[in-house]
Amino acid sequence: MIFTKRQGMKKQNNLKRKDRALWGSIYVFAFAAAFAGSIAFKVKHDPLGGEFKADWNDSVGKVYTDIAYGKGEANTFDLYVPADGSRSGYGLIVYLHAGGFTSGDKSGDAEMLEWLCSKGYVTAGVNYTLVSEAHPDASVYSQSVEIRESIPYVIAEAEKLGYPIDKMAVSGGSAGCCLALLYAYRDAETSPVPVKMVFGAAGPSSFYPEDWKCYGFDIGSAESDTAARVMFSAMAGRELKAEFGTPEYDDEIRDISALLWVNENSVPTLLAYGKYDKVQPYEGSQRLLKALEDNHVPHDYYLCEHSGHGLQNDNKVYRDYMRKILEYLDTYMPLK
Amino acid sequence: MTLTQKRIFILLVVIVIAAVLGRLAFRAFLNLLLGGTLFGGNFL
Repeated sequence: MIFTKRQGMKKQNNLKRKDRALWGSIYVFAFAAAFAGSIAFKVKHDPLGGEFKADWNDSVGKVYTDIAYGKGEANTFDLYVPADGSRSGYGLIVYLHAGGFTSGDKSGDAEMLEWLCSKGYVTAGVNYTLVSEAHPDASVYSQSVEIRESIPYVIAEAEKLGYPIDKMAVSGGSAGCCLALLYAYRDAETSPVPVKMVFGAAGPSSFYPEDWKCYGFDIGSAESDTAARVMFSAMAGRELKAEFGTPEYDDEIRDISALLWVNENSVPTLLAYGKYDKVQPYEGSQRLLKALEDNHVPHDYYLCEHSGHGLQNDNKVYRDYMRKILEYLDTYMPLK
Repeated sequence: MTLTQKRIFILLVVIVIAAVLGRLAFRAFLNLLLGGTLFGGNFL
């Protein structure tokens, strides 16, 4: 009898142990699944609810890809034209891709280009020669020159397709924003049509070491100054020799520093930056903002207070910035 | 509350905590690459 009772208790304990082990496994599995699921959801989920996406099809527009504008392998552009080809004049929006001047492709901006085209504009994504082992001489400057050279080809191609261009906007993200600002402030006069506005996010325009805190160039030591000089020289495509903070330095860096081209005739500018940007300096954007204010250039500046380079933590501000693009287009590039 | 009810309640708490931590981990990872704050702005 005693033996049977003990046996029964043992059996019960075993069952309890198995039960606990089963629920422990369920908890671990549920934790792992919910953890991974929440990440997957965040990766896939569009926090802007598709507001800035076009349902792209032939009734909206058509895209012509990889049209050459120069001899370089990368000298190509994609042209998006709206389905309605009956108007006497069209606004062109050029959107330049991101990628730190070393990577990226116009195809990465298809969604943005389609969305803008769906609003009635001719849009173009333009590639430029990236800095790489194959192209060690490429620089921000050479890329900005390629962009400048591409614009007449883009306009000619649009006209060939029956879309006469009478005005344009230039825009981009990150590196593309840097190049867009350069075109808008430095090269607008070379454009075959008037440049009416520029918009972009997180593009560097200032090349003063004290602004580049995110790279430690603000320390002011011999080492940090050398590092800044090496990087800025590579970006400028020339050896920078002048002392930082002198007018001579401004002259040397001017070719790639959009900030230094801002004047009272500069085009209306719409910008968005992240306060904690680790890739390009937020401080430089403040300098650009001041230049726009000082020169009374019509502008709007959206600051994502909790974000870095991707403006990733401030969906509301980013949404407002995107909506503002349409307001700017309505104001400065109204459809005919 | 029966034992099973308690276990299901704990299971729900575990799922919520894991989802919050997953989101925070992803945000922390992006912040590491791009910069940004762990809290503020978007919900999580």
